[in-house]
Amino acid sequence: MPHRLEIALKAHLHDAEGQQVRKKAAVYFGMDIESIRSVHILTIDKAFSEKQLAQIQHEIFTNPVTQVSDYKPLSVDFDWCIWAGYRPGVKDTPGETAVEAIEDVTEARFVAKEGVYTSRRYCIRAPGMTGDDARIIAEELLSNDIIQQVRVWSASEWDENTGIGIIVPKVMLDHVPTVSTIPIDSDETVRRISDDRNLALNENDIPVIRSYFNEPAVRTEREEAGLSDPTDVEIEYISQARSDHCNHNTFRGRFYYRDRSAGTTEEIESLFRTYIEAPTLALQKKKDWVVSVLWDNAGVGRFDENHYYVITGETHNSPSNMEAYGGAITGIVGVYRDPLGTGKGSRLVMGSYGFCVGERDYGGELKPRLHPRRLLDGVIEGVRDGGNKSGIPTPFGQVIFHPGYMGKCLVFVTALGIMPSSVNGEPAERKTTSPGDLIFMCGGRVGKDGIHGVTASSESFSAHTPAGHVQIGDPYTQKKMHDFLLEARDAGMIRYITDNGGGGLSSSIGETARLSGGCRVFLESVPLKYEGLDQWEIWVSESQERMTVAVHPDDENRFLELSRKHAVESTVIGEYTDSGKLHITYDGKTCAYVDMDFLTRGFPRWEFEAEWTDPADRGLFEPVLSEPADYKTLLCDLLSNPNICSKEWIARQYDHEVQGGSVIKPLVGKFRDVNSDAAVLRPVLESDRGLVFSQAVIAFYSAIDAYHMTTCTIDEAVRRLLAVGGDFDHIGGVDNFCWPTIAYDPVINPDGRFKAAQLVRSCKALAEICTKWEIPLLSGKDSMYVDGHLPGAYGEYHKVSALETLQFSAAGVTEDVGRCVTMDVKAPGDLVCILGETRDELGASAYYDLFGYTGLNVPKVDAENFAALYRSVSRAVKENLFASLHGIYRGGLAVHLALCAMAGDLGIRLDLAAVPATSGLPADRMLLSESAGRFIATIAPQNKDAFESVFAGLPFAFAGRVTEEKTLHVTGPGGRILLEAGVDGLRNAWKKPFGDLI
Amino acid sequence: MTSRVKALVLTGYGLNCDIETAHACELAGFRAERVHINDVLSGNARLSDYGLLVFIGGFSWGDDHGAGVIQAVRMKKHAGEAIIRFVEDGNLVLGICNGFQTIVNMGLLPGFDADYRARKTAITYNDCGNFRNDWVHLAFDAASPCVFTRDMSHAELPVRHGEGKVVAEDNTLLCLKENRQIVCRYASSDGSPAGGRFPENPNGSMEDIAGLCDPTGRIFGLMPHPEAYHHPTNHPDWCRNRALQRGGGTEAAVHEVPGLRIFQNAFRYISEK
Repeated sequence: MPHRLEIALKAHLHDAEGQQVRKKAAVYFGMDIESIRSVHILTIDKAFSEKQLAQIQHEIFTNPVTQVSDYKPLSVDFDWCIWAGYRPGVKDTPGETAVEAIEDVTEARFVAKEGVYTSRRYCIRAPGMTGDDARIIAEELLSNDIIQQVRVWSASEWDENTGIGIIVPKVMLDHVPTVSTIPIDSDETVRRISDDRNLALNENDIPVIRSYFNEPAVRTEREEAGLSDPTDVEIEYISQARSDHCNHNTFRGRFYYRDRSAGTTEEIESLFRTYIEAPTLALQKKKDWVVSVLWDNAGVGRFDENHYYVITGETHNSPSNMEAYGGAITGIVGVYRDPLGTGKGSRLVMGSYGFCVGERDYGGELKPRLHPRRLLDGVIEGVRDGGNKSGIPTPFGQVIFHPGYMGKCLVFVTALGIMPSSVNGEPAERKTTSPGDLIFMCGGRVGKDGIHGVTASSESFSAHTPAGHVQIGDPYTQKKMHDFLLEARDAGMIRYITDNGGGGLSSSIGETARLSGGCRVFLESVPLKYEGLDQWEIWVSESQERMTVAVHPDDENRFLELSRKHAVESTVIGEYTDSGKLHITYDGKTCAYVDMDFLTRGFPRWEFEAEWTDPADRGLFEPVLSEPADYKTLLCDLLSNPNICSKEWIARQYDHEVQGGSVIKPLVGKFRDVNSDAAVLRPVLESDRGLVFSQAVIAFYSAIDAYHMTTCTIDEAVRRLLAVGGDFDHIGGVDNFCWPTIAYDPVINPDGRFKAAQLVRSCKALAEICTKWEIPLLSGKDSMYVDGHLPGAYGEYHKVSALETLQFSAAGVTEDVGRCVTMDVKAPGDLVCILGETRDELGASAYYDLFGYTGLNVPKVDAENFAALYRSVSRAVKENLFASLHGIYRGGLAVHLALCAMAGDLGIRLDLAAVPATSGLPADRMLLSESAGRFIATIAPQNKDAFESVFAGLPFAFAGRVTEEKTLHVTGPGGRILLEAGVDGLRNAWKKPFGDLI
Repeated sequence: MTSRVKALVLTGYGLNCDIETAHACELAGFRAERVHINDVLSGNARLSDYGLLVFIGGFSWGDDHGAGVIQAVRMKKHAGEAIIRFVEDGNLVLGICNGFQTIVNMGLLPGFDADYRARKTAITYNDCGNFRNDWVHLAFDAASPCVFTRDMSHAELPVRHGEGKVVAEDNTLLCLKENRQIVCRYASSDGSPAGGRFPENPNGSMEDIAGLCDPTGRIFGLMPHPEAYHHPTNHPDWCRNRALQRGGGTEAAVHEVPGLRIFQNAFRYISEK
């Protein structure tokens, strides 16, 4: 009989967890709740003596100062009691660490099928609450039915002796692992099997697969190995490898691009080759700091003589859209494995986030699976726990609200690492697998996680079927693995390392075995979470926190010993060969035997039609709008815009200083509450060199033209980098494309050709700017299919597509962190200088958006002229000329002047007539245009001459002063006062929307 | 150089401040070694080789059963007596954040009457209900026996925790006060006690307690992170201060770094022992 231990805080202590739930219930649902007390529950599925139970209770799980506990239900008053626990197979890390502690204290060993499961119950005091209210709290605050189960009791339904009962979410599959053969007698058969098994095989791939397995030579070899038609292991392997996720078929596809406005057509062989690979390889030749790009899990740049930095960015959209917390934590923890698996391994030094969601207060008729507010809460918490528990600072991030992300949210996660330039005398960035090397799987175990999410979600749940298709990342297990692998690296034991992400072993071994020329894998030796997985499931499972490592046989014991010291499970599951075959056996019987080069043979390329029409030809136009009279209220409303306003509550939840190298933090200024342009850290503590990092997402401009969306996004990321002291001559980029479906279909995707054209244009812009500004793309990823079908008021479904979105990350190195700059104005009397020209570019601006206008004049980037200005900005940084420096981004000059003043808690007097601009530009355009290429700088008066000489011939002007009086004061032509607003009032407006969130 | 006192910085099992803590120890004069918890539990690492043992920040064993709980259980069972001997031999123990939580759960603190096994205080969830990263002002008790904080009256340090609220029964609090074991309190910028006000007191800690020592002053635990303020640019205001001083450049970045003082005091004490 399992034991159930209930633990609660003593009644007189503040229950912060319960209080959080109470607050959310009040704010989200208007519920009036007196109190909520939480009870933590351990269900221990193993026999123990009374004495052992007492040890477990008192020596481990009960703090004598703060807690009470009992193996019987604790007596806590309630009107409603809600229990929430995981479904079977969902990662329960606390349950696993409880096992460790119990084993240590009792010296008893847990064996297979024994375990500890954690859950919680919440005791709610709310006399007027109905059962429906309680279920709303249960289902919309305390659980997600994909991963959790809930039960609700009223006070009268509760039995104080049995309590919640004994609930053991143990996985019991009762299934004998079986390899099946897939008939390939016709394309139709394969298509049907693809549909049945949810393989998502591309129509055009099917004949290629059939013809390979029907080749006489292949059949003869396979017969010798004991095989005939392909096995399910093989077909699953091929389907994984050919998926868009693994093979990037869209970016490697052929595009037929037609510009209807210009009357031209163009055929593009591959977006990746043409616009990403070619420019980056050309730049690699010019920039000696570019160490390794385009092949490994992340890109590598030189940090200093002895260190390289490593960077990559990922998205985790679909899982987060289903289960926000689990998806986001799996995303951030997952992207951290990329730098760890780059070169011979690098140490993680920072992460960042970008969340794109529907409007937080959405009150319309559409019903997404998770309301944007709940979804945002979940992804914030997921990245928080993933980053904080990994011991990796999260000093930068952004949140974008737009209705287009209601269909599917975007969760961008970016990771940076650092590695020594050489390991054991060999270049750290190089690695290969050789015949005879052992294949180690390190870290977590394999379960049914992440296998064919769609199949799993359409299955009905029973009490013991694993709900593993949505995962919960486990930073604790991964942190142990991270520390172990870096020590193994430094001991020279790692010959190759890569992570197990999409496609699991199938992908990590499949790809690395190409280097040695083959592999043997013994699937029965893969450690499993529970028995009963089919062979193909072991092969493609995406269970997290695993790395695949090639180790020379001589190092086997040393590697295992080190792994034991770090309490990490490592297992030899095969070896690399040069047989030319991917050869998999299970208990000695072959279940896959495929030529290593099969995947590179003759698969047809995907093809897309792309059709572009200029914005004007699409009927876009500038709104007819007169100058506003009340700039002050207008500015306050812009500052309260969710895309502009303060989101301090997020940054404060994220540990942004762990590792001790924080230089420029996410929040700066006198009250440390205004967003910095970018982050700077010292990843090597012995050095004063800094790593500078920024990101930008301005998808709004895609409503007019994704070309300019892209140039402006890159420009913003670059300016952010420069604004804190980054160097224009050393910028590495990371592109993360998130696009709605681009394949044309007259019924389900009638505007597919346009979206495809937007993608082509975005890629063209990326190549153009990166080439002109010499920004190699160190890494990048694409995530397509950002669409959702949402039910409306009448049972109808609406397809909701995201804006065409690019997140651009920029990283650089500064020689001396002592030269870094922040955006807060510093001292009264400092000169305010506007750098860059303001033009009539309000298309898709925050201002137009206030009225629901799109407009036509989207901001544009003048690459050559901007570059000249940016070089001078870098020079002025080196000469320590700036007191403050800040880019002008969304919202325009007025918004960003306000932010600089708020951050410094001082005033600014600005003469608009002096600001460099297109001649005759009206004041509202000056203040609200989102023209790219601009900065607000302040400088000490004595630096004026030096400053003028650095910027001679460039568009800049001294247009005002920092004032003691805390007022933003803007005058227009003829000295007319346009705006006079107290800084405190502006700050209130800016903090109002989310100010009470902690 | 060979005679430099060694500091043992624990690592492993989800701890994560090892590199900067070791760096701060080195800057203060120690020879720092990062040692895996299992090497301490197994006896591979001998405490007698060291003068300072640092329990560092992080999320040991994921911290899901109360911060520092499982680390304390395992350390107490396998190395508890060795650590008590280490302290009795006149050496130093520092617990930072998760390390503070751990040594409190082990009973090393408060250590009334040389009882280093009893759990008299607890560190629990922040009243604000969330993890919080912010800088706090600390006021130090000049009369505390703590050897780590000699001559310190006020400092700013970062906090980064979800469970930092120090809780104890009234009589325990009384003893702590009488023994001057409350080494530092959360304070306002003028040095006056925070009086429980958020965010000056970031977690609702009783008596604004940020750090405690044992009656000998050789065991010190605190929630804020002194190791994360080992360089002038760690401070949130360093850019502002540089601009206001009108110095500019690297030369302005040379000023006192209070986080380091704690390690320097430890080094001085143990070197003079």
